[in-house]
Amino acid sequence: MDPLAAIRETFFQECEEQLAELENGLLAMEAGDTDPETINAVFRAVHSIKGGAGAFSLEALVRFAHVFETALDEMRSGRLAPTNEVLKTLLRAADVLADHVRAAHDGSAVDEAHTAELAEELKALDPNGATAGEESEGEEDWGDFEFKPMSVDVPAAPAGPSGWRVSFKPRADLYAKANEAALLLRELGRLGQTTVELDASGLPALTELDPEAAYLAWTVTVTGDADETSIREVFEFVDGDCELEVSPLAAVAAEGEASATPVEDPGETLDIGALLARVQAVAEPPSPQQVPPAAPAPAAVATPADPSSPPDGQGQPRKPEAGATIRVDLERVDRLIDLVGELVINQAMLSQRVMEAGFARASGVAMGLDELEQLTREIQDSVMAIRAQPVKSVFQRMPRLVREVAAMTGKPVRLVTEGEGTEVDKTVIERLADPLTHMIRNAIDHGLESPEKRAAAGKPAEGVVRLTAAHRSGRIVIEVADDGGGINRERVKSIAIEKGLVAPDAALSDEEIDNLIFMPGFSTASEVSDISGRGVGMDVVRRSIQALGGRITISSRPGKGSTFTMSLPLTLAVLDGMVVSVQGQTLVAPITAIVETLLPKAGDVHSLGGSARVIAIRDTYVPLIDVGMALGYRAGPLDATQGVALLIEGEGGARAALLVDAIQGQRQVVIKSLEANYRQVPGVAAATILGDGRVALILDIDTIVAVSRGADSLRAEKRLAATG
Amino acid sequence: MTTITDDTTAAPLVLADSLDLTAAAPLAAELLAARGKPATLDASGVQRMGAQCLQVLLAARALWSSDGLPWRVVDPSPEFADAAALMGCPDLALATAVQD
Repeated sequence: MDPLAAIRETFFQECEEQLAELENGLLAMEAGDTDPETINAVFRAVHSIKGGAGAFSLEALVRFAHVFETALDEMRSGRLAPTNEVLKTLLRAADVLADHVRAAHDGSAVDEAHTAELAEELKALDPNGATAGEESEGEEDWGDFEFKPMSVDVPAAPAGPSGWRVSFKPRADLYAKANEAALLLRELGRLGQTTVELDASGLPALTELDPEAAYLAWTVTVTGDADETSIREVFEFVDGDCELEVSPLAAVAAEGEASATPVEDPGETLDIGALLARVQAVAEPPSPQQVPPAAPAPAAVATPADPSSPPDGQGQPRKPEAGATIRVDLERVDRLIDLVGELVINQAMLSQRVMEAGFARASGVAMGLDELEQLTREIQDSVMAIRAQPVKSVFQRMPRLVREVAAMTGKPVRLVTEGEGTEVDKTVIERLADPLTHMIRNAIDHGLESPEKRAAAGKPAEGVVRLTAAHRSGRIVIEVADDGGGINRERVKSIAIEKGLVAPDAALSDEEIDNLIFMPGFSTASEVSDISGRGVGMDVVRRSIQALGGRITISSRPGKGSTFTMSLPLTLAVLDGMVVSVQGQTLVAPITAIVETLLPKAGDVHSLGGSARVIAIRDTYVPLIDVGMALGYRAGPLDATQGVALLIEGEGGARAALLVDAIQGQRQVVIKSLEANYRQVPGVAAATILGDGRVALILDIDTIVAVSRGADSLRAEKRLAATG
Repeated sequence: MTTITDDTTAAPLVLADSLDLTAAAPLAAELLAARGKPATLDASGVQRMGAQCLQVLLAARALWSSDGLPWRVVDPSPEFADAAALMGCPDLALATAVQD
């Protein structure tokens, strides 16, 4: 890749991170986080995007980021309060910014009208913009202004000696980084009328002079309507490489040549800086108590300094802490993972050979091998951890989706997310985005009722969609739940009949009806809507989850809502397994699903007619499933007393006992996909290579349990297909 | 504008086109080498000037002044004059000697 393209790519990667940071910060603020560092982080995110975009001449992006940043700067300096309304606008602006980044990345078009609209909204937030008299709505604020003698003149006030004094002293680093003071001064000149004063007092004699050091300093007076942000922006790339001080001209004037401007009451004098300070304080809605109500004019004169003007350096974005991270090409990580997988298999084979060679357990070779095994395991864990990422990166795309779908459907929705920190393999994460997007759209579009219906049902108008992630049984379980009306089973059934998916006289359980929505060709929306009806339905979602080695289930309660539960493997690479034998075959059961193992006694096993058996474990009976029969290794059931039962707990918490012939041991196995190398086999999750070089199948315990119970959607589907 | 009416005998020191960061050290060396004689700087070809060359020129001018020798900038290009003005010392481009 040519270097510039590579840098550009890195910029866009960083943009994604900044956008995530931005959204997180805004959401945290919406949730009541008032930490100034959060506001700073949000500001920094936009600022960085703008900076990078500027370097690549992405003008539209820079323009929008600039307006956005200005609003955030107002917030950062305390002049704009982070009310819910303001944050909503900022969140939408974050969406538009993301659009711009994406458009810049792939060259697609952005919605100009929408951008302009948001830019206007952002400008309207800016209290400075309002004081400049540009925004008509700004006038409402003046209505609250109780300071009578001044109120009339306030809107005109900023038209006075507005301007800035910029003191700028480059450090040698500034030049060393190929920046040029002259260009910065020229940029400043574009912002308004400037007067440049050179301070060469630090200049040594030519004989003493280091030509590459920095001796000069400048003081520039900028008059005109430039705001502080745009001035600081000029210096954004030399941040840290120069001493910079930006102070409002009014405040500067107040120090010495204070202008005594008579206002309406000729007996009173007014300091413009103090007036501005008061105006800004009044324009700040949530803390009106900061302003002494109707303070007498002399008090105002007594406070010449502008309290809201940032102290030195505060206007500059704080440098983000140097992150201790590096970017690594994913291919290298994958190669490493592959190799470690081979190492694990090799180490297992070596162990086996050493054992076969008859070395004593306490022999040096065996002990050395144990250490090697531990080390291998640690290496493997560490390597897997490289690929593991919190699901946050997918979850954080959802608030935006919810906002958009909520706006399109006119349903107020609150998205609640939990467990964003849950880690899962990067491949899994990447492939989660589409199904999740679809499910959330569905939850809002089809799951939630209209506000009127909700009100009639005694529910709050705002619907809740809950997105949660958690580790369970060695898998990651992701749920999308809504508090809507639940699945309308009658309607689902009639649609399925209408579409010929089931026979009209089919007797279906509630669960089977719910699962109909996963059938290809099923879509409950009678009209294809913009939002979820795109001809692809939940069947696509299910297929993509299955392709990841996952399963999706649905549970629905009328009037209370529906929950879609996806269960996915944490990694597609390794697994802790219990190696068992069944009818001469070696199989692996994922250890995370196993609660305990036991040797069944004759009196504990009861037959329920047919081949179904249950086993008494302490006070409860659980189904006893003969793995050999379930997988078709043998025709008749194994005598339970001849085998070992593995008590397992499935995803829903349901327990069952798997009957196997014997347990060989417990070890970590490297997963080799069966789908990729052969095809999907019900009841088998994947395969692995054992220490002796033989292939062993890894059991898909949930499917085995579900198939054996006959309550599985898979079987229901088969039956439906047969009837339909 | 190339006429030198003074008693300057030394050949004018022709300033480089680009008085940027990289030009500062050579410029300083060149000026130091020319010390002790009246200086005439031909700025007609200057296309750009950065702050570091400005530093060198200002320091040199001060040195010539303290040495009591004439210092002249002749035929400044508009770019040179503009850069000098931009950086707050328009007098640097004045053709007449400044004895300060």
